[in-house]
Amino acid sequence: MIFLKKTKNYWFVAIAVIAAWFLLRSDSFLYQEPVGQVTHVKVQSKQKTTDEHNNTDNIYHQQLTVKLLNRNKIIKLTNQYTDSQTVTHKYKVGDQLLLTGHAGHFRIISLKRDAVIGSLVVLLLGLLLIYGKWRATSWLTLSLVANVILFAIALYIDVHLKNPNVILIFSILAIVVASLSLVLVLGRTLQMVVTLLATLLSTVLTMFIMFAALKITGNEGVHFETMSYVTQVPVTLFIAQTIIGVLGAVMDEAADIVAALFGLRREKIERHFKDYWHAGMNVGRDIMGTLINVLFMIFIAETMPMVFLMLRNGNNWPYILDQIMNLGILQTVISGIGIVLAVPVTSALVGWIAERYKVVD
Amino acid sequence: MNAIGLLIIILFILMVFVGGVQGMKAFVGLVLNFIVIFILMILINWQFNAYIVTALMSVIILALAIYLGAENQFVTNTAFKTSLIVVSILMVVAILVQHLGQFQGFATENSEELEGLSLNVGLPFTKVAVIVMVISILGAVAEAAMAIVADLNEVIERTPNLSKKSLYAHAHIIGGQILGTAINTLFFGVLGANLPLLIWFIRLRYSIAMFFNAKLLMMEVITMLLGMLGILMSIWVASRLVVHGYVKIQSKNMRKGE
Repeated sequence: MIFLKKTKNYWFVAIAVIAAWFLLRSDSFLYQEPVGQVTHVKVQSKQKTTDEHNNTDNIYHQQLTVKLLNRNKIIKLTNQYTDSQTVTHKYKVGDQLLLTGHAGHFRIISLKRDAVIGSLVVLLLGLLLIYGKWRATSWLTLSLVANVILFAIALYIDVHLKNPNVILIFSILAIVVASLSLVLVLGRTLQMVVTLLATLLSTVLTMFIMFAALKITGNEGVHFETMSYVTQVPVTLFIAQTIIGVLGAVMDEAADIVAALFGLRREKIERHFKDYWHAGMNVGRDIMGTLINVLFMIFIAETMPMVFLMLRNGNNWPYILDQIMNLGILQTVISGIGIVLAVPVTSALVGWIAERYKVVD
Repeated sequence: MNAIGLLIIILFILMVFVGGVQGMKAFVGLVLNFIVIFILMILINWQFNAYIVTALMSVIILALAIYLGAENQFVTNTAFKTSLIVVSILMVVAILVQHLGQFQGFATENSEELEGLSLNVGLPFTKVAVIVMVISILGAVAEAAMAIVADLNEVIERTPNLSKKSLYAHAHIIGGQILGTAINTLFFGVLGANLPLLIWFIRLRYSIAMFFNAKLLMMEVITMLLGMLGILMSIWVASRLVVHGYVKIQSKNMRKGE
């Protein structure tokens, strides 16, 4: 009983996660597309294949009996998949599918994944609530939701303009998003203004270095044309991407350094530029390495599936590094430069401002 | 001259200028991590068990990221222990999520890149999806663990005779701040990596249903959610470990005093 009482909150979260799972599994009435659930699977044939690179794989044909959840009908579909499941899917009993077409000619467009995503969101929110209590969590969620909305607006503008200036749109987005996030976290204080200035200044400087390096070398060794999912000029898209990636990390770092230095300022107001500079560099030194790692892992993991496919297709490493991992590495390096630059920029800025404004707010 | 080479040199010079010896160590750590990921991909391509290889390489990556990032032994040991606990839990969650949501491989959006490639390659991409999820969160988990342990350590060093209760209170305040900024970093990092895909979805007028179910987009959302979960858990676990370690050291000191 005591155990149950002590862990009460966790039980609530567990129940909420399970409830979200079942709710979202039965939300098919919200969909315009036909939604079906696999009730029976029969493997009809299995065939061994060997491709030109001597990879062996098995191709299966499966017959799926699917109950349409929002059409009240039972249909049969055939599906083909391989052991590697690179583009194909092996469907299991219980899987829910989004379909297209009508009477007799149904085709699978996607697995229905909203229940998995929804449950995970509920789990995260639940644990955040337990940890952060209602107020702090709602601020954090609010700032995330606001960022998503701002992002959606920027994307909408970008897609609906005839000749969008991508860099301009996403630079403005970056400024707005940074200001908003910092105001929500720090309130309208001098500390917030300094953090914002340091963030923007570091990001601009980083972009300047990137442009300079690309100009000097004439884009040598950089393959913007290898970018995936391109629907507009890749170079500008890459720059916009990098601005956003750098911004988040730099904001994090600048906030840490400024917070530490303002702590010093509160302890004793009569300090010189040098004190702030040294203290800031000390704080920054400790965090820059792990911060670069955060982005590095994200950018490199992103390229992995394609790297494996290329390796299996008999491509050599130099080619893969040059064609598949090229932009991931470039983005990591530029973000790294931003993260390192933010340390001296922030330290100097705080020192300069703190020496002039000696009124504690 | 190669543009990426030039930028890497600039990064190295900046890191040494700003961080001195520690900066150089951090740079070496990055290079070593790159090599470890390289080895990971080679081993998996050779059909070694994907989960075992990923678990082993994750330990090495975390060790490199943490032990080359800071000096203080209490800080690095605690952060490392925290990261190991959190990443093992998240790996189980990732396997479960992948089993339920089938996020593996490529989709029709990749058709152009896949042209001319053999797709029956005999490598389980279901496992590759889990690897991608686990590797993406390593950095975020290590960073959050380091940040909170380092800050708490400073509190302990600055205030003598700190009670267990007030250390917990400090952990909570600092943890809240780190949580906010770390989640922001991850959020922008993932968005920054996926701008083209998002524009693709909007430009080609995907139905709303696809925004909540399509494989490629949901894979990114899952990665982001797992990362946020990782940050939260690592702050929580690290606070516990720090307080636990502090109480132990304190009682030892008291016994010595008697």
